[in-house]
Amino acid sequence: MQRRDFVGRLAAASAAFVLAQTAGAQQGAAPASGANSNLFDMNQEAAKTVRRAPKPGATKSMSDEDRDGAERQIRCQCGCTLDVYICRTTDFSCQVSPAMHRDIISLVDGGYSAQEIIDSFVQVYGERALMAPKHEGFNLAAYWLPAAAIGAGALALVGFLRRMQERTVPVAANIASPSSVSGTDDEMARLQAAIRRDD
Amino acid sequence: MILIGELSLWVALLMTAWSAVTSFAGGTLGREDLITSGRRGLYVTCAMVVLASIGLWDALLTHDFSLSYVASHISSNMPKVYVFTAFWSGQAGSMLFWALILSIYSSIAIWSANEKARALAPWACGTLACVLLFFIATTCFKANPFERLSFVPADGKGMNPQLQNPGMAIHPPNLYLGYVATAIPFAFAVAALITRQLDASWLMLVRRWALISWFFLTIGIVLGMWWAYVELGWSGYWAWDPVENSSFLPWLTGTAFLHSIMIQEKRGMLRKWNVVLVVVTFLLSIFGTFITRSGIIESVHSFAQSPVGSWFGAFFFLATGTTIYLVATRLNDLEARATLESMVSREAAFLYNNLVLVGIAFSVLWGTIFPILSEWVRGSKITVGPPFFNTVNIPLGLLLLALTGVGPLIAWRKASTSNLRRQFAVPVFAGLFAGSALIALGMRNGHALVAYALAAFVTGTIAQEFYKGINARRSIHGEGVVTATIRLIARNRRRYGGYIVHAGIVVLFAAFAGLAFKKDHDVQLKAGEAKEIVDPLGHRWRFVSQGVSTSETLNRFVTAVGLEVFRDGERQGILSSEKRQYYDSNKQPQFEPSTEVGIRTSAKMDLYVVLAGVNGDTAELRISFNPLVVWVWIGGVIMALGGLIVMWPQAERRRAGGYVATLAPARELEAAAAS
Repeated sequence: MQRRDFVGRLAAASAAFVLAQTAGAQQGAAPASGANSNLFDMNQEAAKTVRRAPKPGATKSMSDEDRDGAERQIRCQCGCTLDVYICRTTDFSCQVSPAMHRDIISLVDGGYSAQEIIDSFVQVYGERALMAPKHEGFNLAAYWLPAAAIGAGALALVGFLRRMQERTVPVAANIASPSSVSGTDDEMARLQAAIRRDD
Repeated sequence: MILIGELSLWVALLMTAWSAVTSFAGGTLGREDLITSGRRGLYVTCAMVVLASIGLWDALLTHDFSLSYVASHISSNMPKVYVFTAFWSGQAGSMLFWALILSIYSSIAIWSANEKARALAPWACGTLACVLLFFIATTCFKANPFERLSFVPADGKGMNPQLQNPGMAIHPPNLYLGYVATAIPFAFAVAALITRQLDASWLMLVRRWALISWFFLTIGIVLGMWWAYVELGWSGYWAWDPVENSSFLPWLTGTAFLHSIMIQEKRGMLRKWNVVLVVVTFLLSIFGTFITRSGIIESVHSFAQSPVGSWFGAFFFLATGTTIYLVATRLNDLEARATLESMVSREAAFLYNNLVLVGIAFSVLWGTIFPILSEWVRGSKITVGPPFFNTVNIPLGLLLLALTGVGPLIAWRKASTSNLRRQFAVPVFAGLFAGSALIALGMRNGHALVAYALAAFVTGTIAQEFYKGINARRSIHGEGVVTATIRLIARNRRRYGGYIVHAGIVVLFAAFAGLAFKKDHDVQLKAGEAKEIVDPLGHRWRFVSQGVSTSETLNRFVTAVGLEVFRDGERQGILSSEKRQYYDSNKQPQFEPSTEVGIRTSAKMDLYVVLAGVNGDTAELRISFNPLVVWVWIGGVIMALGGLIVMWPQAERRRAGGYVATLAPARELEAAAAS
C-alpha cells in the first residue's frame, strides 16, 4: 500500500469514528456542572463552631490589629486557600470566613490569647486550620529540606568548581588582566569596546 | 463549520501519530522520504488543529448551545470579547488552545531547523509530534470541546464574572505561549541526546525558543498578578497558590537556563546541566498542569478534579523516565571539556545564580507538594500557605537579587583583586548609602531594608555598566549620549537587554518590599458619614460616604458605594466600589456576587477600597493602603521590554574595515605578560 493511500484510508476511518462518537455523545451528554465555570468549588457548609467558655472576668484580650494578625494565621475552610482575614472581604462571597471571624471575635472577647485561639481552631478543624505547618515532627522537613538541598547543592557546586580548577593549566593564573595591557587611551577604549562586543 | 472543526481534530490526531512514527523511523533508517513525510505530517496536523480551533470559535461566536462547552462557558448576553476568550476559559477549550499553540510552534521550529540542523530535525520533529499527540489525544478523549448535549438549552451558563476581565482575556494565552514554548527546547534536547550531538550547536537552535518561553511566562505571570489584584479584591497580587506556583516553576528554571547557556557557549562547560535544565523546565510545565488539573492539590483556580489529571500524570512520568534514560546513557558524551580558572569569575557567578534559582524552584515545588506528602506520611491534610513560602523564599530572593548585581561586575575566566575593587566600588557605595539613608529616615523593617540596599547595589551595577559602555562608544565614535546609548543596546542586545531585565527585577523587588508597609482598615459608613485614616506615609485621608446606590447594566445588577476622598484636606475625587450580581438572559442570577474594587493609583501608594457588603444603608468597606504596587506592573513591563530586546534578531556584524579585537590564546597572553 502506498503512503498516500494509507493516509487517505486513515482519514476516512477517522471520519467514520468521529461520526460514531458524535452520535454517541448526543445520547448521553449533559451540560457541564457549574464547577467548570467557577474558580473553585466553594464549600459553604465547612464552618464548624469554635467556642470556649469565657475566662473568669474576661475582657477583650487584644487589639483589632492583633486579632487581624491572628486571623492571618488561620485558614478559611471554604476551599479558597486564603486566610480568614483576607477571605472574609474578598470576591468569593464566602460565608465560612465570616463565621470563623465571629468565632475569633468571641474568643478574643472571652480573654483568649492569639495562640489559644489558634489552638482552639486546630482542635476543631485539625492542622489544616493553619496557614503554615507547625514547626514540629514531619513538618520540619518542609522547612529544612529546601535549606538542606541548597546547602548540598552549594557543596556539590564548590566540589565541581574545584575539580574544574584542578584541570586547568597552572599558567592560566598568570594571564594578564585587561587592565595590565598597556596602550594609549584610544586603544584601551577600542579594546574595551571590542571585549564588550564579545561578551 | 463545527463538524469540520471536529473532524479536523480527529484527523489531526491521526496525522500527528503519523508524523511521530515516520519521523522516528526516518531518523533511525536515514530515509529522507520518511523524514519529509513526518515533517509534512506535522504541518498538516497544524492546519487541522487550526481548523478545529476555528470550528470552536465559530460555535462560540454563533452561540451554538448544542455543544456542552459552549453552553457551559458563555451566555447570549455576554460581551463579544469574552465570548471569544471563552475558547481558553474552560478545560476542554484550553486543551485545544494548548494544542493549537504547540502545533504552530512546532511547525515553525521544524521548518526553521530543517536547514540549520538536518541531523536533529527528524528526532525533534518526532518528539514534538509525540507531545502534540498527547495533547490532541487528551482533547479528543478526555476533554473534547465538541462534545454535544442531548438537548439544546435556550441559553448558556455564562462565564464566571471574575474571568470577564481584560487581564484574564490575555493572561492565560500568554502563560500558554510560555508553557508550550518549553516543548521546543525539550524536543531539541531529546534530539541531541538521541543523536549524541551534544556540542553547543543544539543550544543555538533552542536559545530563542527558551527566550520566547521566558518572555511570555513573564508577561503571563505579571498579568496574572494584575488580574488578581484588580479583580479578586483581596488587596494582594500573589498568594503562592499551586496554580501560581506552577507558572513560576518553569520561569525559574528557564531563567537559570538562559544564564547557564552562556557558559556553555563561551566556555564549553555545563553540558549536562543545560540538558537537565531544558528537560526540567518542560517537565515542570507538565507537572504543574498535572497537579493543578488532577485535583490532588487544592487550588483557588479552576480545573480541580478534572479527568485530564491522570493523563497528565502518566505523560509526566513517561517523559521523565524517557529523559532520565537518555541522559543516563549519554553521560560520557555530556562530559565537559572545559576548565575553570577561578571561583571568582563570571562563569562561577552564573553557577551561583543557577544554584539559587534552582534552589528557589525546589523550595516552591517542595512547598506545593508538601500537603500531599504530609497526607501520605501522616494521614492528615495540612496547608502550606504564604507564611511558609515567604519564610523560605524571602532570604533566597534577596540572595538572588544580590547575585543579579554581582555577576556583571566579575570578569570572565578570572577576576583580579584590582578588577574587583574597581568594579564593586560604586555599586557597593550605592547600596550602603541607600541602606544608611533609609535607616536614618526611620525604616526598621529588616527585609525591606536589605531589599532596598540590594536594589540600590544592583542599580549601581547596571548604571555603571551602561556608563562604561556609553563612554567607550562616545570615545571611539564621537557619538552623543542618546545615540551612544541606543547603539550600545542595539549592537549588543543580549548583554544590555539583559541589564534592562535586571533593572525590571530591581523595580519588582523594590515594589515587593513596599508591601511590608501595607495597612488595612475595616470601616462601616452610612450615607454622609466620614472616616479619617492616616496612611503609612503619614498623610491624613478622609472618606465621606455618598451612600449606597443600585443600578442595572448589560448583564448585571450593581450595588455601589461612592466615597468622596480627601488627602491632607485636599479633595482627590470620588472613588467607587461595587458588588455585581451577574444574570443570564432570563435575568436569573448567575454565580456568586463579585466585587469591583475601587483603586486610586499613584507612584507611592495605591488606595484600594473593597465593598465587603451592605447592611441596610450601611456600607461595610475594607480600605487598604498598598505602597508601591504600581511598580510591580512597571517592573514587569521593563522586564518584558528587556526580554524583547534580547530576543530581537540581530544581523551578522559587519566588521570589514573596522577595528577587530581577537582575544589571544592563553599561552600567547602568558608570554606577553612575561615579557
